[in-house]
Amino acid sequence: MWTFFFLAWILVGGYALYLQVADGHIVTGMRDNVVWGLYIANFIFFIGISYAGAVISGILHILKVEWRKPIIRIAEMITVIATLIGPVFILLCVGRLDRLHHLVLYPRLQSPITWDVLAISTYFTGSVIFLYLALIKDFAIYRDAKLKIPKWRQKIYKALAIGYRGTPSQKKHISVSMNLMAIIIIPLAIIVHSVLSWIFGMTLRPGWHSTIFGPYFVLAAIYSGTGVLIMAMWVYRKMYNLYDYINDKHFIYLGYIMLVLGAAYGYFTFSEYLTGWFGSEKWDNEVIHKLFSFSDYGWWFLFANVAGIILPIFIVAFPKTRKPGWIALASLFMVIALWVKRYLIIVPTLESPLLPMQDTRLEYVKYSPTWVEWALTFAGIATFFLFFTLMSKFVTIIPISEFGDKEKEKAKEIVITKENEIAPA
Amino acid sequence: MKNSNSIRCFSFLALIIFSIVPGKIKAQTDSTAKTEVAKEAATYTPLIEFISTQKSDNTVDLKASVKAKINGTLAKLNGLKIEFIIGADSTAKKLGEVVTDNRGIAIFTCKPDQLTTNAEGKLNFRAIFAGRDSIESAEELISVKRGRLDITPVKEDSLLSVKVKLVDLSTGTETAVPETDLGVFVKRLFSALKLGEGKTDEAGETTIEIPNNLPGDAKGNLTLLARLDENEVYGNLEASTVQQWGTTVSEEIKELPRALWSSHPPIWMLVTFIVLMTAVWGHYIVIIFELFRLRKEEPKTVS
Repeated sequence: MWTFFFLAWILVGGYALYLQVADGHIVTGMRDNVVWGLYIANFIFFIGISYAGAVISGILHILKVEWRKPIIRIAEMITVIATLIGPVFILLCVGRLDRLHHLVLYPRLQSPITWDVLAISTYFTGSVIFLYLALIKDFAIYRDAKLKIPKWRQKIYKALAIGYRGTPSQKKHISVSMNLMAIIIIPLAIIVHSVLSWIFGMTLRPGWHSTIFGPYFVLAAIYSGTGVLIMAMWVYRKMYNLYDYINDKHFIYLGYIMLVLGAAYGYFTFSEYLTGWFGSEKWDNEVIHKLFSFSDYGWWFLFANVAGIILPIFIVAFPKTRKPGWIALASLFMVIALWVKRYLIIVPTLESPLLPMQDTRLEYVKYSPTWVEWALTFAGIATFFLFFTLMSKFVTIIPISEFGDKEKEKAKEIVITKENEIAPA
Repeated sequence: MKNSNSIRCFSFLALIIFSIVPGKIKAQTDSTAKTEVAKEAATYTPLIEFISTQKSDNTVDLKASVKAKINGTLAKLNGLKIEFIIGADSTAKKLGEVVTDNRGIAIFTCKPDQLTTNAEGKLNFRAIFAGRDSIESAEELISVKRGRLDITPVKEDSLLSVKVKLVDLSTGTETAVPETDLGVFVKRLFSALKLGEGKTDEAGETTIEIPNNLPGDAKGNLTLLARLDENEVYGNLEASTVQQWGTTVSEEIKELPRALWSSHPPIWMLVTFIVLMTAVWGHYIVIIFELFRLRKEEPKTVS
């Protein structure tokens, strides 16, 4: 049912894409001055939530935190799928896609765009390896479980298990590889999002040219990644009755992480805008005025800060609201708020050019996304959910190999053999 | 369950709304569409801006700039054939044709043997556009007296100057023209830079000082121009001379200290990039190697 719903959204996005390719970028709200809009906000958003797996899973793995086990698969899946979808929005944003291969043929190392291409492709490769390493033991279990599944699937599981039989030597190889990946994926993720922030920070534009943009983006990314992870946990727990595995403790611990990150993110936000406001530099002031003016972006800015900073902190801080449902709700608001924040980073700055605009028609001065951009945005979100749904049909959401033998049998019973499906069905 | 149903209902409703919204409803309307239609139907009246420049080698440059008012703004018209003619009605002689370039400009150089003056010693030039499709025909006339500017470089010790003389040629003999303002310029990359101006004396001469620190080419050459601009009687007159009076500026492209458009990245950036990429991809290679070893170590007894 949901799969068809997501496919329908993707179909609408496909039609929007057809219009954009046939008629050109005139069907979007982007013009000479505001050359980035929804697409770039989506790109940053998706790369941001990919942090769920990279940093959270990586750090918890290194620290050997036991409670991480039931949730790491969800986190790593978020990472891979989000890293796959995010860059597609770049392709939607740029013109002359026929010259895309020039990025590879004629790269300029001094260009932040080249850094981004290299960083994201390296990060994606790392994320896939990290997810695969964690899946090998599970693939071996699926292979040996004699499930009533088509032969081609059995063959795929066998191939992907790469002969893992759980010998001490094989366990060591997996352990060494996992440790290496957990160590490398954290700095890599930080570099990727810093590079992404430098696309803005390296330009001399008001609201972008900031030395704290690197850590600010990294922090916001981990924060939004945590939020998406909590939401995914809540949905899977409820839909597939995984209360034995994903329990309240997981929500509360991740809630604490969210609280700390929220406070740090709030501090960065305050520092960023206070510095700009206090300096009173003409162009900085113009952007800040737009963000604080309720006739401009004031309501959105207020929402981004209340829902993105204050709400999650308060919900986790009070024991009465420190419950899975409330924490998931706060995560939902926080994730939406952080998407709005990405939009507010991009658009008001581009609407405040350093040179006077030659063409002052309203659509040149003010950006407003068209239905084509919205349709492609929702198609991207639908693709994210669709991939997640399909992936969870192929592998278990709970990494059963991470449990002890007794627990493993129980997990198998629930998440593998039930209705002869690999994933909860 | 109730919540799940409401979410589904809402999502389907949203999908239907987006699906039935006509493709042409956009945040901006395509303002170019109407213009194209207007372009097809309307007829435009071109304006020709016609000027002549008499050079010291007795040639005359004829320059016609063609524009038309389209949608309230003056647009340069390219690809129009402009006919250049010398002489009045009965003695008119076609000089040649030039097609306007993308700046809407057509330039024709009239050689000394093509120049014919009327009884008053005047040169009459005409630039004619015959008309085409939706563009009406147009014509512009210039009538100027023959004249010439001579430029003579003068170097006294370290003092540099040029002596410019304006003479009238309309009577067949060279007659000095007094009390006329002239300008001296130096040719730069995009246009001429004014160095000074002076009024001609009884002998039709004026002297203008040239600074001795002007940047020249690789040999220090400067192209100095004397000009009489938009004169009512003579139109434009020009004379030039090349003198080795400038400072030498090498034409070699020097390596810029730091710029986004530099051909090579700075060394530190290259080193950082190589170190980072080697470290990360090195890890990947080690891990893939570990996976190969894992496969190799599969116990043989297991089928």
